[in-house]
Amino acid sequence: MRFGSAGRNPAARVESKPERSMPTERVADDNVLLEGLRHGSADAAETLFDRFHGRIYSLAMSILKNESDAEEAVQDVFLTVVRKAHTFKGNSALYSWMYRICVNTCLMRLRGKRRSETVAIEDFMPVFTEDGMHTSLVDDWSKEVERKALEKELGQVIQKCTEDLSEKYRVVFVLSDVEGLSNEETAQILGLTVPAVKSRLHRARLYLRERLTGYLREGKMEKQ
Amino acid sequence: MNCKELVYLLGDYLEGTMEEPLRQEFSVHLEMCEPCMNFLRTYDTTRILCRQIRPEEIPEEVRTRLKAFVLEKVREHNRDIEKYVEQAARERREEVEALLRAYAANRLSPMMAILFRTHNDRCETCGAFLRSINGGRSLAEIPEIPPHIEEHIAEFLDALPPGEAPTLL
Repeated sequence: MRFGSAGRNPAARVESKPERSMPTERVADDNVLLEGLRHGSADAAETLFDRFHGRIYSLAMSILKNESDAEEAVQDVFLTVVRKAHTFKGNSALYSWMYRICVNTCLMRLRGKRRSETVAIEDFMPVFTEDGMHTSLVDDWSKEVERKALEKELGQVIQKCTEDLSEKYRVVFVLSDVEGLSNEETAQILGLTVPAVKSRLHRARLYLRERLTGYLREGKMEKQ
Repeated sequence: MNCKELVYLLGDYLEGTMEEPLRQEFSVHLEMCEPCMNFLRTYDTTRILCRQIRPEEIPEEVRTRLKAFVLEKVREHNRDIEKYVEQAARERREEVEALLRAYAANRLSPMMAILFRTHNDRCETCGAFLRSINGGRSLAEIPEIPPHIEEHIAEFLDALPPGEAPTLL
């Protein structure tokens, strides 16, 4: 992941994300593509690769955090799609099916490896009194972020902190906030309920907020 | 509503998916509680910063290598499929030929002889062809099997119940 240079206008940011809706032409295109794959068309395989390789690679990189692992995962994803094209029923969008294959492929790869160390997200959750009040003052650093240079710097902090998250939270965060998928799509891809997706995303954001607070207070990355 | 409950509901509040009565309760607490207002602002800013993260771009050399690999594997896969289809067609042809030779040489199994004769006596597709090859002919005398007859007899074979072999050894 890298940090974009879109302005402060939230609408402008949303526009540059992958499409959330499924236009009719795209569905028709996908159906033609799948039909081609089912008939062994080399052109269809090439179109499939050209259309999806960027997004599949970035998703694999977000989960695996390693270029050569991501490359092998992308190989597996495309070969699976070509070999299983005849089993795709069209109940979801093609990209959604491919994301699911990609997530499964990457998680399988992670299971076969020694995992890199991740942070305990509980350590970064807000703390409350027994009455449910904040235990300490809460700084408002939102105005400071409006300085352009700091905004970019904080983007890099978020990127680094995201890599420290366990994949349970990272995958949800990447699909929802980086890829811009809806909670429903993320839930479908990961086989989770929508409330579970919302909960994981919320906790990931609480964690990142706390890391940013620490960074702005201390001026450096907190080491956990 | 207390601060803990408010923080728990931040996502729903910012996404505008909160029920109106709860939203009013949320707003009342927010107006009175500076820590929660600060928490909301910094949480929202975090959310906005997160949405600016761009996916990792694929390096050109990786892209080129991946594309070549994937397309080559797809070609291999398609060749395997073609081979499989050819082999399946060959085996099917051989099964049909074996059946017709046995029929021509009166070497069908008893059950098969009954089924086959009952069928071809009435069948408009294969009846005439089968009658033309009946009568103790040698293998070489069987004319080339027209494709539609081959397909028709293969379907007949596919529909046979499991049991004895269709031809005598």
